[in-house]
Amino acid sequence: MNEKKLLIALAGNANVGKSVIFNHLTGLHQHIGNWPGKTVERAEGTLHFKGYTIDIVDLPGIYSLSTYSLEELVSRKYIAVERPDVVINVVDASVLERNLFFTLQLIELETPMVVALNQMDIAKSKGVQVDTKKLGKLLGVSVMPTVAIKGVGIAKLLEKAIETVEKKRVKKYRVTYGDEVEEKIGKLIEKMKRVQLVFPPRYVAIKLLEGDEEIEREIQRIDPQIVSTAEKLADEIERIHGHCCSTVMTSERYEAAGCITRAAQKLVSPMKPTKAEWLHNFTTHRVTGYLTLVFSLLLIFYSIFTFGDYTSGLLADLLYGLEPLFASAIGTGIVGNLIWGGVMEGLIAGITIVLPYIIPFYIILYFLENSGYLSRIAFLMDNVMHKMGLHGKAFIPMMLGFGCNVPACLGCRIMETRRERLLAAFVTTLVPCAATTVIILGLVGDFLGIHWALALYILDLAIIFMLGRLAFRVVPGEPTALIMEMHDYRLPHMKTILKQTWFRIAEFIRIAFPLIIFGSLMLKLAEVSGALEIVASILSPITVVWLGLPAITGITLIFGVLRKELSLVMLAALLGTTNFAVVLTPIQMIVFTLVAMLYIPCIATIAALVRDFGWKKALFIAVFEVVFAILVGGIALRLLTMAM
Amino acid sequence: MPLTELKKGEAGTVAAIRSRHRRGRGFEKRLMDMGLTPGTIVNVVKSAPFHGPIEILVRGSRLALGRGMAERILVEIDKNE
Repeated sequence: MNEKKLLIALAGNANVGKSVIFNHLTGLHQHIGNWPGKTVERAEGTLHFKGYTIDIVDLPGIYSLSTYSLEELVSRKYIAVERPDVVINVVDASVLERNLFFTLQLIELETPMVVALNQMDIAKSKGVQVDTKKLGKLLGVSVMPTVAIKGVGIAKLLEKAIETVEKKRVKKYRVTYGDEVEEKIGKLIEKMKRVQLVFPPRYVAIKLLEGDEEIEREIQRIDPQIVSTAEKLADEIERIHGHCCSTVMTSERYEAAGCITRAAQKLVSPMKPTKAEWLHNFTTHRVTGYLTLVFSLLLIFYSIFTFGDYTSGLLADLLYGLEPLFASAIGTGIVGNLIWGGVMEGLIAGITIVLPYIIPFYIILYFLENSGYLSRIAFLMDNVMHKMGLHGKAFIPMMLGFGCNVPACLGCRIMETRRERLLAAFVTTLVPCAATTVIILGLVGDFLGIHWALALYILDLAIIFMLGRLAFRVVPGEPTALIMEMHDYRLPHMKTILKQTWFRIAEFIRIAFPLIIFGSLMLKLAEVSGALEIVASILSPITVVWLGLPAITGITLIFGVLRKELSLVMLAALLGTTNFAVVLTPIQMIVFTLVAMLYIPCIATIAALVRDFGWKKALFIAVFEVVFAILVGGIALRLLTMAM
Repeated sequence: MPLTELKKGEAGTVAAIRSRHRRGRGFEKRLMDMGLTPGTIVNVVKSAPFHGPIEILVRGSRLALGRGMAERILVEIDKNE
């Protein structure tokens, strides 16, 4: 039997259960990458069904097919250029009208499609009843009810999708705009008759009237006259309505979505406020909301660090137990030393840090995101973040930064514009990660008392706040405001969370592990070749004269870039004792910790920055932070000496 | 009047969005895409303390809007209510 191939794309608003459906369909046969040249995620998977090999692409969750964000652009291009055999439009039954607004745009793109009417259970509990048959008839598209989280309706959905491909039904609903708009659409279509287009002509005409920049650019290349005609026609519409043309068309499209919604859904007033509703009010309340926030953050960090510390120790014992075995196999000569001390110890460091800290962090993060709590956190923190020119969503990567800066930098993709991504990434790299926390607690916390460690944390937060404000002034561009949906609380789908975590960890390993191992090897090489002393003496003007530290600390600071978590261990090795109180004065401890805390994200973080922002910006951030840390360290030394 | 002047629990109808760009690009477009088109009824649920964002209900969905953004949305209060 010859394999028939199919390409299916999943499209829909954010938080409608798209990724849950994707996971049901593809299981583990999936792969997450980036869209070529873009920092937008692309999830793909394969499945076999009824003699078909089906490739499924999960498009990003978006609210419209305009050019507001990269995600929207990528999705639109994909549907128009790659022409999937069928698009499954996942729709949240409990917020039907807004979801249908997107559905209507897909219909305008004239792509074969099926609607998955998801979260029927939540809709029901909110008192929303949707007549699927009627909705299907109105849209001219098959509509299948699903409850993705329980796997209900998924198989039927897939059958319907294939049926749609086989039948090639095209008779569909069409958004009819007001007469004066329709007349203009007609004129434009007439004008474009002889032009070869990627998008359907009616769609292009609509988008030109709306002033869509990307389509304008494309048509400009083909025939500039069409664009100028469209602008003239748009102005005419503006004169008639008193609103700009794009507003008029968006309104009319929403009007159409509203009409269909009212015809297909019945509102039964919900018996009583649901539990989700109560929880929402509690967690966003001006008092209980903040209390809940503080309490949950403390709980999260406490449990992650307790769990991480314990597991990390366990894993380290286990892996270092392999050393004798290794030594007997390769020997303890220079090569053996390099391979164990460099490569293997780097690998072990990666494993003992990644597994115990980052995995639980991601699981909790995705749990919070999928359940809806993250958006409430963003709501509560928006005001604070705004002072730094960011909005509430930026709090989320910052939170991640306490675990590890690498995923935190990658997490800045949730911000809408490039400028905000950069600003968010910048403040995130200043957040003390788990490895920095080890230094703070292990040196200052252990030897000077926890209040000093806390003081350093508070100082760091103040510095983050200050530099954030400064960066926001310096980096050109307008600040953007928060526009965010807070979907109803719901129980997340565990399997989806675990899968998302797995793919994140895989990404982390790809970026960070080679660098950690490389760094570790370089470190060992320098040690074996005696380059460490040379480095120390070169750096002594900074370390000894300006920072008042023993010359040997220069080595730990330099190599802390390669492996930050090793700074303390290395310091102990170089000073010949773990009782730092003997060799360092309290002031030296504070200065050292301060510099280590601020001075640079590790090499893996720099790699993550390079990946998303390019060499120049990454290098700039790194150099800036080094200079800044040394400056602050020196000032602190002088202030503390005066005070004590 | 701006949306931010509505009190908790009040409703209004979107009249216009004060735009910095002539043809409604960027955030104005985003607001429309989220359902805040002229003529739409908006319910203000609450606002976060210290001049934080406001929470509104629009077309059955719950949105959080930064205050600066919300100030640019002009609404009319329904007289019948």
